[in-house]
Amino acid sequence: MTAPQRAAVSSGAELAVQVKGVSKVFPNGIQALDNVDLEVHDGEFLVVIGLSGSGKSTLLRCINRLETPTAGRIWVAGREATGAEGAELRRLRTDIGMIFQQFNLVKRHTVLSNVLSGCLGQTSLASSLFLRFTDEERDRAQACLDRVGLGDRGGSRADALSGGQQQRVAIARALMQQPRLILADEPVASLDPALRHSVMRHIEALNREEGMTVMCTLHDIDLIDRYATRVVALRDGKLVFEGQPESFDGETFRQIYGEDAEPTSGPAG
Amino acid sequence: MAHPDKLQNGSLWQRQLAQFRALAVDWLLISLMLLMVDFLVIAFSGRRGPTGMLVTPEEVLDLLHYGWVLSAALILALAWQASRQVVGPSPGQSLVLGVREEKHVPWTRTLRGWFGALLIELTIFTGWLITEVQLVTFLTQFNKASDIVRGLLHPSSSILHQGLVLLVQTVFLAFMATAFAIPLAFSLSFFAARNLTRGSRFSRAMYTLVRAGMNFTRAVEPLVWALIFISWVGIGPFAGVLALWVHSVAALIKLYSEQVENIDHGPMDAITATGASTLQVLRYGVVPQVIPPFLSFTIYRWDINVRMSTIIGFVGGGGIGYILKPRVDLGQWGEVGTLVLLIAATVWIMDILSARIRERIV
Repeated sequence: MTAPQRAAVSSGAELAVQVKGVSKVFPNGIQALDNVDLEVHDGEFLVVIGLSGSGKSTLLRCINRLETPTAGRIWVAGREATGAEGAELRRLRTDIGMIFQQFNLVKRHTVLSNVLSGCLGQTSLASSLFLRFTDEERDRAQACLDRVGLGDRGGSRADALSGGQQQRVAIARALMQQPRLILADEPVASLDPALRHSVMRHIEALNREEGMTVMCTLHDIDLIDRYATRVVALRDGKLVFEGQPESFDGETFRQIYGEDAEPTSGPAG
Repeated sequence: MAHPDKLQNGSLWQRQLAQFRALAVDWLLISLMLLMVDFLVIAFSGRRGPTGMLVTPEEVLDLLHYGWVLSAALILALAWQASRQVVGPSPGQSLVLGVREEKHVPWTRTLRGWFGALLIELTIFTGWLITEVQLVTFLTQFNKASDIVRGLLHPSSSILHQGLVLLVQTVFLAFMATAFAIPLAFSLSFFAARNLTRGSRFSRAMYTLVRAGMNFTRAVEPLVWALIFISWVGIGPFAGVLALWVHSVAALIKLYSEQVENIDHGPMDAITATGASTLQVLRYGVVPQVIPPFLSFTIYRWDINVRMSTIIGFVGGGGIGYILKPRVDLGQWGEVGTLVLLIAATVWIMDILSARIRERIV
């Protein structure tokens, strides 16, 4: 499918995420986000680019409120995320899956247990504290593992897997959560370039087959071309570019990353 | 240094507070030096106390001219800070404000360097007098202690059986104290970790409360806890268990919470992002990371408790110390030697075992 076709799907659809005038100043005085406005449509694969420290991660972490913006408002699927607290915030988070650069698995737990932790927001508190899950939940977790091609590794300890496999377990965990929105924070940045597509393809599947909206931060220009339906760029916490991946060329690249930057691309894998 | 010049950074109020702290440090250091000089002058002046004898170091401490010294030190501190351009920055200015010399010069060429060196020398000299160090006696009067040492080297077998029985009690006493301490220390340690208690007002209050309670409990000697519990539950090993338990809870909270502060926050973020509640985040994001170091510290604590229970026994807290005390009082050095050897062997074995187990776990 080409990008314009996918863009057509999203136009006029409900807003998955709406960000209005969001700023974030950390206690140490660093301004990570500066009055950012952004709309993410349902079903989009939005790629966020920018230098390290440009505020990409902070933007994603503000959406599921791992960080709290210091100004502005954010809505996720029509519900306001800014200001949500307690049970309301936890309900909101169950609809947002997150994938991290460092995978962030519970290393000493089994792969299956890590996938099961995806449904912690929806399961009974008491039994989850004793690591007990229902048969239905276990079957579903196994199905999620099968989807990412690790169906036979459920009993291994998470840290026994390779980096690419661990990230696929993290994707299965997000799948288990059955969210409507996926936030992927540099999902392939700590992986061998040859493994990047194997992970990105699974995130693409969440977008295409499960209809989940994806917001993903990336660095490599060929990954952006291949997966994004739309690209936005941040520089010093400000939104400086918004457009189709096709309109994203060497000239705009240097505008975002500075004069000294060269577009990089990992070897196609 | 992270903030090389605090004179230029921060608000006016912060700058003034830093200036004030620098002055306080100077005042304290100069006062200490002048007090020690005063101490030495009085001690060597040949002054006699109320009994007609030369004054003792304790009496000299009462005779110091505190008011004069503090006033003089304040004037000197202010003078040094004012003449910084001429004599270089004062200790307070360099420690608190991070002020450097204009050019790099070795410490032997700055007033600050000479001041520091003199302060250290005066401290050693004053300490020598206050603790009444007597090198000659130490080196020549060994024969007075030779009875004890000979006894320790010739252990008597008459007490071996009783000693072994109480040794078993000692090891179990230490074990029970450790075991009882685990659940309480485990649940409280999360409140004593800075990184988990920034969220709400409640958790910050709990942090302060748990930390304060822990430091107080640790500050009170186990021996004092033993006396309290002996009055409470009577003489015997149970009082010893309770005394070591209280102390172990505080010690384990400190060790556990340091481990919690060192965890990788990634898994916590990931579990939080699934919509999990605080307890679930602790169970999945924190606990799996801290279990191995917790186990290791717990075994180490058991080892420490075995050593401590000997002293607890001295005052009636059960264990081998209970029969050691009367032998020491009666001067039965052979029997004391047997018991000391038994304790040493146990501590040695516990030490080796706990080191082996901890190696395996971490």
